[in-house]
Amino acid sequence: MTNEEKVALIEETLDIENGSLRPETELSSVAEFDSMAKLSLIVLCDENFNKKLTGEQIRAFVTVGDILEFLG
Amino acid sequence: MGKFENKYILITGASKGIGFTLAENLDNLGAKLILHASTDAGMNKLTDSFANKGHLLFKADFSDPLSLEEAWQSQINQDIKLDGFVNCVGLRSRRPLTLLKPAHVMQILHANVASFIEMCRLICRKNGFNPGLSIITISSIAAHSGGPGVTAYAASKAATEAAVRCLAKELFKKEIRVNSLVCGQVNTSAYADLMETKSDATDTILERQYLGLGSTQNITNILLFLLGGESCFITGSAIPADGGYLS
Repeated sequence: MTNEEKVALIEETLDIENGSLRPETELSSVAEFDSMAKLSLIVLCDENFNKKLTGEQIRAFVTVGDILEFLG
Repeated sequence: MGKFENKYILITGASKGIGFTLAENLDNLGAKLILHASTDAGMNKLTDSFANKGHLLFKADFSDPLSLEEAWQSQINQDIKLDGFVNCVGLRSRRPLTLLKPAHVMQILHANVASFIEMCRLICRKNGFNPGLSIITISSIAAHSGGPGVTAYAASKAATEAAVRCLAKELFKKEIRVNSLVCGQVNTSAYADLMETKSDATDTILERQYLGLGSTQNITNILLFLLGGESCFITGSAIPADGGYLS
């Protein structure tokens, strides 16, 4: 999966407008990135990437790129 | 003589958390147990913990209620008459509505609702129990207060509590009592998993649960009371064991 596809998947999971996220986007600037969005991200990682994402790891994410790096 | 000497008690979801602590307590009190787990790992733990103590093991997949009848009849001697059934199976679910697809919702409802009802059906047949049979299912404060992301789990627990009220009224003539125990946050491996996946490090539930995090022994003490004859006047109830959360 390319980075563009991953970003699109994150946008869809977070219910955010397509094309609104870039790797350099800071998560603190994304209003939709609330506790439910973080929970969505955990489910996304588990179901689509078979990776266990912890709350501690989420708190360490600064940009969208950090999420992409985690997804590998 | 232990308090539950020679009483047959089925514990589903017995390999961890509340079910496991209850099994240890009832073993010490002389009960004959039927201990259920869904997985090989769970069965191995039960075998290691309760080997040579004369208890029976029951392996069945609660996410597939249609499989339970065959599993029950093939694994458990049908001459056994139960005195108690405590259902500790509770599949957890935390996900926002956007990801709450029917397959997931059905999986939770199958494991937490349909399988509990099916087990009641299987054991409440004639010659399957002794008069005075006490059935208790573990419910949750989520059934009463809810929270974002807990939709499927809360719905399943509320459905089970509703089923309990009906079953109590249907089964009292057979001298069977049925109750739910509405648990607050309890320090189990499921709770540890929850805290690990929470995006914020604090558990806001504990701000309302002013007696603090419960232990599996706290819950077990109440289960022992509900299993025994001292609670013979209680049926059809959803009894809080919530550290004050719902008050």
